[in-house]
Amino acid sequence: MHRYLKLASGLFSWTLRIVCAGHLGAQYLCEFTETRGESMLPTLQARHDFVYANRTHRLGRGLDMGDIVVAVKPSDPDHNVCKRISGMPGDVILVDPSSSSTVSNSVSTCERNDGFNKFVVVPEGHVWVTGDNLSHSLDSRSYMWLPMGLIKGKVSAAASLDQGLFDKDGKFWFFNLRWLKRNFEDEP
Amino acid sequence: MGIHPFIRTSLLTLTWIPVLYEFHDHAYQPCEIRGASMAPTLNPATDSMKKDIVLVQKFNVRKPGYLKRGDVVMLRSPSDPEKLLAKRVIGVQGDTIIPRDPKYPKEKALIPRNHLWVEGDNQFHSIDSNNFGPVSQGLVVGKVTNVIWPILRFGSDVLKGGRMLSAFLPISSES
Repeated sequence: MHRYLKLASGLFSWTLRIVCAGHLGAQYLCEFTETRGESMLPTLQARHDFVYANRTHRLGRGLDMGDIVVAVKPSDPDHNVCKRISGMPGDVILVDPSSSSTVSNSVSTCERNDGFNKFVVVPEGHVWVTGDNLSHSLDSRSYMWLPMGLIKGKVSAAASLDQGLFDKDGKFWFFNLRWLKRNFEDEP
Repeated sequence: MGIHPFIRTSLLTLTWIPVLYEFHDHAYQPCEIRGASMAPTLNPATDSMKKDIVLVQKFNVRKPGYLKRGDVVMLRSPSDPEKLLAKRVIGVQGDTIIPRDPKYPKEKALIPRNHLWVEGDNQFHSIDSNNFGPVSQGLVVGKVTNVIWPILRFGSDVLKGGRMLSAFLPISSES
């Protein structure tokens, strides 16, 4: 009886230690999670896409223009967002010119929004983030700059788990695993 | 086993480090307070060598609606994510706050959804929401529950202090 008790307690303590170590790794090194939503099309699918988030870039460490980040939603700490950085501290940003586009707005709305004249300067310790799918994305254009303290990690790879191991031509592509690179290029 | 018992014991001790770290991250953590922005509640001594150590609660703090007015919280500074601040919650989501600093660009500040208005108790030595505006609740790291050092002030009430009622607009004057 005593022997079984010892075995059970040993099993429990080792499980505790291994789970804690694993969770620590998921929080501070890397994490593999699903992303949903249309805001990052065509870079990320709306469903079934899993991303590899590098957690060593949390709190905005070593990030630059064009990086894709996972961050806590400022208006709802229970949810995460996945966006691309399109403005660094000190940059001057034209907030949303599409709010004054005559394609989708009436003339009076265009004038009222004044989208071509609304500029902001991103303050220190914040970044400007937008989704790649600008017409279906809730991002800095509505909640303004994002504090770097909310950034959880940088997305460096993605895989579509509904795609299978081979593509249409029978080529091996391992669930369409792809590296997501910084796409920003400074104009010469 | 062929391993020297000393090495074996130290390796087994090392396996407990992740557990301790997780406890610090998700349960309770002692934390030293630097600076005078929360005086006289925390660090009341004028002597800068004396620092308070407080117990910080880490669980539940980002749950919407969990933090109440008057709580003392630890949060990441919006302007420098590596820095932690200890401030008092003055306003929660939906409140209309009159900023203490006349230099704040608006006369009244409406707190957005899941945001907080935080202020240091020491009006003249604090960088807080009067400088950077309402902060997202996602920046909150923990809630200060107790002073644990110096031993003489153990368990002193951290909920007392700061300006409270004078910060609000009566609801009738909204419209």
